[in-house]
Amino acid sequence: MHISFSSVLAFFALSAPALATSALTITIPPSSLLPNPNALPAGTHATLTTLPSSEAAFTSQTRGHLAAPLTRSATFSFHRLPPSTKPESYLLEIRSPEYIFTPYRVDIAADGSLLGVWETIRGNPWDNRGAEKFVLADADADADANSAIRDVNIEAKVLAKRGFFEERSKFSPLALFKNPMILIALVALGFTFGMPKLMENMDPEMRAEFEKQSRTSPITGATRSAMSGGGAPGNFDLAGWMAGATPRPTAGADAPISPPATISGGESGGTTRRRG
Amino acid sequence: MWLQATLLLLASCVPSSLAIYADEVNHVDYHHALLGFPSAQSTFFLKPSPSSNASLLYTLSEKSLLGAVNPKDGSLVWRQNLSRSALPADGNAHTLLRASEGTNALVSAAGDYLSSWTALDGKLIWENWFVDETVADLELLELEDASASPPTKDTVALFGGKAAVVRRLDGDSGKTKWEHLDESGDIPIQISSSSTEVFYVSLQSSARKGYRIKVTSLDPLTGQQNQQQVLSSESDVSSADSVLFVGANTAAPLITWADQSRKALKVNVIGTKQVHTFDIENTSGESISSITIHAPKKLESLPHFLVHYETDSTTWAEVYHIDLKSASVSKAYELPRLEGWSVFSTSNKDANVYFTRITQSETTVVSSASHGILGRWTHQAPPMEQALHSVSEVVARGDTVAVRSAAALISGDWQLIRNGQTEWTRYEALAGALAAAWVEEDIQEDLAHQLQVEGHETLYGAYMHRVKRHARDLQHLPEWLKELPKRILTSILTDEVSNLDGFGIVRPVVVATENGRVYSLDAGNHGAVSWKVKAAETESWNVKAILTQPGSATIYVDDGSSVTLDVTSGEVLNRSPATVKIRSVAVASDGTTPVTVGIQENGVPTESVDGQGFFVTLSDDGSVLGWFARDNQNPAWQFRPAPGEKIIHATARPPHDPIASIGKVLGDRSVLYKYISPNLALITAVGDNSATFYLLDAISGRILHTSAHQGVDTTQPIASVISENWFAYSFWGDVVDPTDAKGYQLVISELYESSIPNDRGPLDSASNYSSITDLPLPHVIAQAFLIPEPISHMAVTQTRQGITVRHLLCTLPFSNAIVGIPRPVLDARRPVGRDPTSLEAEEGLFKYNPFLQFEGKWFLTHSRDVAGIKTVLSTPTLLESTSLIFAFGGDIFATRATPSQSFDVLGKGFSKLQLLMTIVALSIGVAVLAPMVRKKQINQIWKASS
Repeated sequence: MHISFSSVLAFFALSAPALATSALTITIPPSSLLPNPNALPAGTHATLTTLPSSEAAFTSQTRGHLAAPLTRSATFSFHRLPPSTKPESYLLEIRSPEYIFTPYRVDIAADGSLLGVWETIRGNPWDNRGAEKFVLADADADADANSAIRDVNIEAKVLAKRGFFEERSKFSPLALFKNPMILIALVALGFTFGMPKLMENMDPEMRAEFEKQSRTSPITGATRSAMSGGGAPGNFDLAGWMAGATPRPTAGADAPISPPATISGGESGGTTRRRG
Repeated sequence: MWLQATLLLLASCVPSSLAIYADEVNHVDYHHALLGFPSAQSTFFLKPSPSSNASLLYTLSEKSLLGAVNPKDGSLVWRQNLSRSALPADGNAHTLLRASEGTNALVSAAGDYLSSWTALDGKLIWENWFVDETVADLELLELEDASASPPTKDTVALFGGKAAVVRRLDGDSGKTKWEHLDESGDIPIQISSSSTEVFYVSLQSSARKGYRIKVTSLDPLTGQQNQQQVLSSESDVSSADSVLFVGANTAAPLITWADQSRKALKVNVIGTKQVHTFDIENTSGESISSITIHAPKKLESLPHFLVHYETDSTTWAEVYHIDLKSASVSKAYELPRLEGWSVFSTSNKDANVYFTRITQSETTVVSSASHGILGRWTHQAPPMEQALHSVSEVVARGDTVAVRSAAALISGDWQLIRNGQTEWTRYEALAGALAAAWVEEDIQEDLAHQLQVEGHETLYGAYMHRVKRHARDLQHLPEWLKELPKRILTSILTDEVSNLDGFGIVRPVVVATENGRVYSLDAGNHGAVSWKVKAAETESWNVKAILTQPGSATIYVDDGSSVTLDVTSGEVLNRSPATVKIRSVAVASDGTTPVTVGIQENGVPTESVDGQGFFVTLSDDGSVLGWFARDNQNPAWQFRPAPGEKIIHATARPPHDPIASIGKVLGDRSVLYKYISPNLALITAVGDNSATFYLLDAISGRILHTSAHQGVDTTQPIASVISENWFAYSFWGDVVDPTDAKGYQLVISELYESSIPNDRGPLDSASNYSSITDLPLPHVIAQAFLIPEPISHMAVTQTRQGITVRHLLCTLPFSNAIVGIPRPVLDARRPVGRDPTSLEAEEGLFKYNPFLQFEGKWFLTHSRDVAGIKTVLSTPTLLESTSLIFAFGGDIFATRATPSQSFDVLGKGFSKLQLLMTIVALSIGVAVLAPMVRKKQINQIWKASS
């Protein structure tokens, strides 16, 4: 949108002919975060803020901060940058609850003309300016004396979009399988049912060899004892195995023949034997 | 104690994510988006888009809020606050709103500020200021300009000020096309336009008493003056208010006024010199209290108008027709005189004009051409409240008509009546809410009474009493058992925890508005109004406080009077007469019953109270006074800020502010003890460009801590709050030193007994201390953050035991939102310029960042646009995790905050059905596996032994 300003100027020109006010327009370009800037709510606006100088140069209209509502072409226009007794430096911010925009520093000369616009970094000294958006060059200043009016157009940058809502975790069976507890349980279940089948299908020679081997290896012994019903590797000395101690030959060998009447019985039997 | 410890552990374990879920919107919160009372001249139905037949209801309210309302359900489509751009309203600020169908543009005026907005979505088209002038009237120029596409209509505006000016403003840019200056000193009244001329109507003071009406016709293209006519009305018109009506365009090209005694109606067709006089037939015997003219606004409509006469008890109307060719006016017919009030409104369908009359009992529609009633609908009982004005939209289908009318009621509500049925009500009076309080229901009162009885009896007597009471309670058992299956079933099926009423989560709120009304909002029903009552005996009041007791609420007004209402029905229980003008109300609780004491304008309590309490008051000469409750003659102490400073705000810890832990456990298991004093007051004083925050001890008036800031904009909001062992404030800080940053700042200060961990300072673990002698000063740690926007009001979430993390509730006037900033983020001990050590990380501290961006999850108002909030209240519930929040002042917004998540409630995410299914699946699994295992074991024993 083009800033139409001559009416204001015409009005001003009557009272203060030397005044060279500028108009500042901020455009919101479509971006990946904000594909349609026209969809912004009507309450979106931009503000220019500074500490009002104690001199009465500020009319009641420009009380310290100026506001510009969002126009239908997704811009903000400050028609009338306030003249003051000394150059002022303003913080330009775009107010939108959902989108976060970069703040700008806007310097305005005493006569109300625009000196420069820079990005500013929050929480830094005010003189640490970011990327330059517009600066009034000397040549421009001369030209300015004639044209007396400048329209400055800068583009706003969307930094982030605020997410107001918490995502509710949805129940999905896939997520269930990501749970390590469930995975362990499933593996155990697979062994419980799969191993006997596997053993049955083995040819007798292999089976004999396997049994012989498993007798020497405690872990398979444990699996076997788990397979063979009790579920509790009562006679498997876990601590000893983890410590790297060689298993006592009786422990593994006795396991299948121990009367596994009940689970607890098997367990207590195992422990007493270990103690003994 | 154990419970507390467990809860503390629980509260600290849960992650500090706090936003609400999208499916909880409207369930945990409610919001009334308000505009304020719609003004009579600036409210209308309009079709915003030429392509669609749907119309919206537009208004510019008395609070200078411009908004569009969907007439189907009364929801707000968009709104703009014109007072933000215009001069601060000086009481008689003139606000106007005009629109033309099919152009998607509205033009509004408020004071010196003219702006044009798109009708569909409320975006700015143009704006313009005219310094030292105020807009007196505004019309859209209905010129046939086929070349413009999309069609835009220029605005003709009349300004008053030093001299009257008529300007034509471009419809796209707001640029002045021409202006006509009238320096004759006449009073500008209105403008009227036709396709060939713009008429400027003003009052010329005559040599004798009264004014003559002057009509100046201007060329719409150049603004040149064509001709001028002066109507001799000096005997009738004594002020601008004497002119009843000036039509906007050729649909009603007339100026009407009445003589002083209201015996005759004078009508002039604009552009002619002739004045038609009609006798007013007043047979009621009462004097006419008002005459209103209703005329169509649309260009193509027939030039018919309705004159509405009102006496104190009856109303009637006359319909007149204008013959444009001969410029003659004739009376067509009369609408009957009815008892009680009635409001008229005009609507068009093409050229046909319809008049809608709403009375207490019915709505009737007549055509302007004949007096036959086209439609009559009886209102449902109860009789409708008196309406002040209305707008209507009539749809004619063959012989029948349908009508919908938006009536502004005397209570400040806005009601849409469609064919006699009330479709919706917008409680616009709530936009002027002055005070609010949660209702204390008296269900528990009986039980409390019984327990009290038991406490005072002998051991045996108390025991018997209790046995009897429990036996009596058994009579509810069958009922409860009968309900039980239903309750279990619904709680499983709905997948939602809804039965939290018993925990004080669904508490109604009583709101007092500036027009003397009191509303009760039902939190369980999306904040619907359960009752409203006119509690004030005058048209407006200035409510200072609402205090609730079980079953009743007392409203304290600034003239010293009070009204007590029943909270279930709104019935007035008690009234106390006005005494002296008060500034605020203080509550001194002496043991059992709280006593209220008014504080006068000069800071002196109105009465003395027996008890141990004390008050801190602000006086109108800018000092802070401390009083003992039993002495209202001599202040105990007086505090004046430094010369040149003015006290603007004083705040104290909330009355309910429990502290769960007296110390802060550091990473190395040492403890930093909190400086906890119930008698803290935080005073904000401002100078020219500075602000000083004084922390006072309220008993002795001693300054405990002072922090001063330079470069502060004192015209912008400065908010402060104090709670537990910390206080926070925010302001606009400007560059004083070259290394300063510019922006809004939020400062948090924490008070500790000592800077050294495990040290309790001079008081150590003493159980008593004195504020008067040897009061130790706190060790203050402070950190400042830059924040992206101003904070206009601060509050703190309150929970039952203070175990839950506190949130600093900040009202953001620019974003129209309320954010709850978690205290752990605002920790003053965050390490600066380095990463936290492992001990600090264990404590939950993270690196300080000077800029604090408000995260989306902190927004309690989430995507809602909650505007104009002046005060935010918070109250605990029986659930430790949950704090109720109520915000008022412009909009009304209420929500539940769970600062540490709802750790003591099963949320919606907890699926009971899933739990049940798991149990069933496991049971089936056991049932299937058990025989298999048994068989296998038996086999094994037999086979092993074989």
